[in-house]
Amino acid sequence: MINTVEKIYNWENNFTNYKVTYDDGKISSVPLDEANTDYQAIQTWIADGGTVIDNPPE
Amino acid sequence: MAIDKITTASITDANITTAKLAYDAIPFRNIIINGDMSIAQRATSVSGITNASGDVFVNDRFCWAESGSMTSTFTMSQVTDVPTGQGFAKSLKLDCTATDTPATTERIRIETRFEGQNLQYLKKGTANAESWTISFWVKSVKTGTYIVNFLDEDNARMVSKAYTINSANTWEKKTMTIAPDTTGTFDNDNAHSLTVAWILSAGSSLQSGSLADVWQAYANANYAAGQVNFADSTSNEFYLTGVQLEAGTTASEFEFLPVDVNLDRCLRYYQKSYSYATAPGTNTTVGIVTTDGSAGGLTTGYLAGNIKFEKIMRAAPTLTFYEKGGDSGVCSRLQAGVARTDNQPIATESISDNNASIYSSGTANANSIDVQFEAKAEL
Repeated sequence: MINTVEKIYNWENNFTNYKVTYDDGKISSVPLDEANTDYQAIQTWIADGGTVIDNPPE
Repeated sequence: MAIDKITTASITDANITTAKLAYDAIPFRNIIINGDMSIAQRATSVSGITNASGDVFVNDRFCWAESGSMTSTFTMSQVTDVPTGQGFAKSLKLDCTATDTPATTERIRIETRFEGQNLQYLKKGTANAESWTISFWVKSVKTGTYIVNFLDEDNARMVSKAYTINSANTWEKKTMTIAPDTTGTFDNDNAHSLTVAWILSAGSSLQSGSLADVWQAYANANYAAGQVNFADSTSNEFYLTGVQLEAGTTASEFEFLPVDVNLDRCLRYYQKSYSYATAPGTNTTVGIVTTDGSAGGLTTGYLAGNIKFEKIMRAAPTLTFYEKGGDSGVCSRLQAGVARTDNQPIATESISDNNASIYSSGTANANSIDVQFEAKAEL
């Protein structure tokens, strides 16, 4: 189960993937690929009211 | 045989059948990947599986799945209990470790899922649609009626077939044929088009109608009529192997593949850096990816590198990184021959279906990244 979702930016300030922390403590990098089922799960989690942590580089 | 006995009539298409040939005339006729349960890359057993576990894999390509909030728990394992004399070496075992009764639409099942592009030759949704035949070996402590459901994910259509466990704790082979479906074509892409599910528990709302034993629009009531509740006793154990799904109205002999071919097919959906028998998160350097040394020599700043996957994956995979000690979401920074510092940050510059560009912005003085990983592109 998803616990937190954070947007990850590269050093050129491009949003490249999500960092997801699950309830069991496992941390994964999820690509921005609509065919990826974890990406799909994040979109469902957001639609259900989940808030994505977004701290873009300044 | 005299040459004059071989007539044109005796070699017509209708007289030459797969059963009469001494070899597998149709390679890869089994649509199921890892149907002999021989591959288990992640682990050989997972305990404490609950409704919060999400999809759980032990044997590759077969997952435990639950809908609802049942409180039953399970242990799933790859085991050597197999039907005698059939050539199988491994099976999937599901052991109920805490009980519950499914409410309304709650359900538990073992699933395997398919890309639409691998199903096009079945011609579903056309006037030339094929029949399908599924065959498998099953053993269960709990006798009675069980359901296998086929769900067309692209068109919300389904068909469910019932089979009976006649004798407790005894291997039985089951074969079922599904009539063609001339409605609803599978998308020709890498997305999830078909699920085959061995139902183990199904709530009352999933059993209130008549079993959908021919293709029809999805309806909860017709999903699993008659299904026993496998989650009603901690004595219950369910075993499955020799799963084959093929076009046509008869079940052919199980198509055994060499282990390297079987594993290669599984790598499209899951890969890891660890050696085959090592579970992700294990404290080890065996298999660890060491990036090329920093061009700038030792640094306390950015280090970058690349991971090339063993095989092109179904889609850009979800990556879970592990430092040498086994913690996830971090890497180790390596000063070759001098020191390895664990628990260092790692991130991805990009992830594609065959490659990941990684970097570490940690502070430990190092010239390369040491990291283990697992890559998941399941359906």
